[in-house]
Amino acid sequence: MNAFSMYAARESGLHSLHPLTKILMTLLLVAAGLALPGNWTGYFIVVFIIFPLAFWGRVFLNLLSTTWKVSLPFAISVILIQSFFWGEGTPIFEIGVLSPKWEGAMFAAVSMGKIILVMSGFLLFSMTTRPDTLMITLKQAGVPSSIAYIIVTTLQIVPSFQRKALTILDAQRSRGLETEGNLYVRARAFIPIILPLVLGSLMEVEERAIAIESRGFNSGKKETSLIEIPDTPLQKVIRRVILFGIFAFIVFGVLWRL
Amino acid sequence: MAFVILKDLAYQYPSSTGLVLENISLQIQEGEFVSIIGPNGAGKSTLCYALAGFVPHFFKGEISGEVEVDGRKSSESTLDEWALNVGLAFQNPFNQISGAKYTVFEEIAFGLENIGVPRDEMKKRVEDAMSLTGISDLADRSPYSLSGGQQQRVALTSILVMRPRLLVLDEPTSQMDPVGTREVFGVVRKMAEEGMTVVMVEHKVEWIANFADRVIALKDGQILIEGKPNEVLTSDLLIENGFGISRYTSAAREARKRGLWKKEKLPVTLDEAVEGFKS
Ligand SMILES: Nc1ncnc2c1ncn2[C@@H]1O[C@H](COP(=O)(O)OP(=O)(O)OP(=O)(O)O)[C@@H](O)[C@H]1O
Ligand SMILES: [Mg+2]
Repeated sequence: MNAFSMYAARESGLHSLHPLTKILMTLLLVAAGLALPGNWTGYFIVVFIIFPLAFWGRVFLNLLSTTWKVSLPFAISVILIQSFFWGEGTPIFEIGVLSPKWEGAMFAAVSMGKIILVMSGFLLFSMTTRPDTLMITLKQAGVPSSIAYIIVTTLQIVPSFQRKALTILDAQRSRGLETEGNLYVRARAFIPIILPLVLGSLMEVEERAIAIESRGFNSGKKETSLIEIPDTPLQKVIRRVILFGIFAFIVFGVLWRL
Repeated sequence: MAFVILKDLAYQYPSSTGLVLENISLQIQEGEFVSIIGPNGAGKSTLCYALAGFVPHFFKGEISGEVEVDGRKSSESTLDEWALNVGLAFQNPFNQISGAKYTVFEEIAFGLENIGVPRDEMKKRVEDAMSLTGISDLADRSPYSLSGGQQQRVALTSILVMRPRLLVLDEPTSQMDPVGTREVFGVVRKMAEEGMTVVMVEHKVEWIANFADRVIALKDGQILIEGKPNEVLTSDLLIENGFGISRYTSAAREARKRGLWKKEKLPVTLDEAVEGFKS
């Protein structure tokens, strides 16, 4: 994974779209997936819209593997919980009191469709949008710069946490900490890794605050920006249409469920 | 009147048990290059924070005395106003990367964006600052892909580009090789010649002797001794208090015991040593 968030530097049509267009597009897809009837709508949108978009953005494999990695543990636990704790239904098998139900598993699979849709949508957005352009866009859209800064730097927390966890892991291992083996060994290794990670992050937040303050972050002056984000009249029109679409889906979703 | 005036400054962090700075009185002229030395925990970084207004505006705790820059007291102004005049680059370069920028060039422009410098002027200022510190070739790299020394140069440049009137640097060369260190000292000297006032925490005494106007030795939160680099860096007081001294000073001290060093003044730098042993 890239050191700078999940962004994957490529030349593609999707990359060159205005971030606002992409945010709205993502929201539209999510709204559609949640509002439209049908159990498998979420999966349908992922496979027939998000995947082709990812292809266009030349991040298809990247998106596929990240979505897979992030959703697999999720999916397994949701399916286990839902099937084992489902009330009445058709048992998949029965061993003593254990009797997972088909209906529970189905319900879990249907819910996962929505989760995967949201996840892959936002992953696609992050992979094809430079965080700094996102920050400028947010500010131009009227989001206060401190909030824009928090959003953008938070998007990078996952990769930076991963990197640091690995460093600490290596350091603790070289001091003889056992990190491989059965569940108990792994659980015991957790604290010497998490603790420095959390404490380190607290220090880091403090220093980072000092650093940006030193660079006039709260100067209260009207900000300017080094780079200009290309936009087109066509995209402006498209954004209006998308906005209308999102609104329509929300209304439809609410009415349909009444 | 002096540009920077510290009057009886004392400070303690909310969580510390004793005073971290005590009895600090100091005057620095505009355009002066002052270097601060001292062992770990002496309070060097805390003093930097006090100069840059983070003590007491950011780190709470108890403060007494005054910090005055250009006739204004830090206690009477806000941190945001203060930051426009006083720039700080601190020890860890990694945490000085804003995290919101994609390339080194944009990273350095971050501060100028914040204070609303127009785009064309911004580009020019960033280019100038980068060529001054010798990092023009890093412009398109990701700030995260740099070595520690390169990150320190970026951190320094990011502050220099803001053109503060007082520049506070906390161990800005700790991760640099001798070439990088030399260049940083050269740049800082140049800024001082141009009228910027500089306070720089450093351990590398030979460079200090070559470039700084004055040295302040800090120990246990107090000023132990201050004065001209050559006087301070060769004083017995420093050695008695366990400060690191230059190897040339050590050698000449030994030589003096054996009657081989005749001059009254001890050397700090190689050149001074060579000269002294010649005569
Ligand atoms: N945020 C803080 N809260 C409480 N105590 C602190 C804090 N920062 C520093 N101290 C304490 O203040 C004293 C001086 O620390 P300071 O960091 O100023 O020393 P230093 O001279 O910069 O040391 P070093 O050479 O290690 O950088 C130390 O005893 C330290 O433990
Ligand atoms: Mg320090």
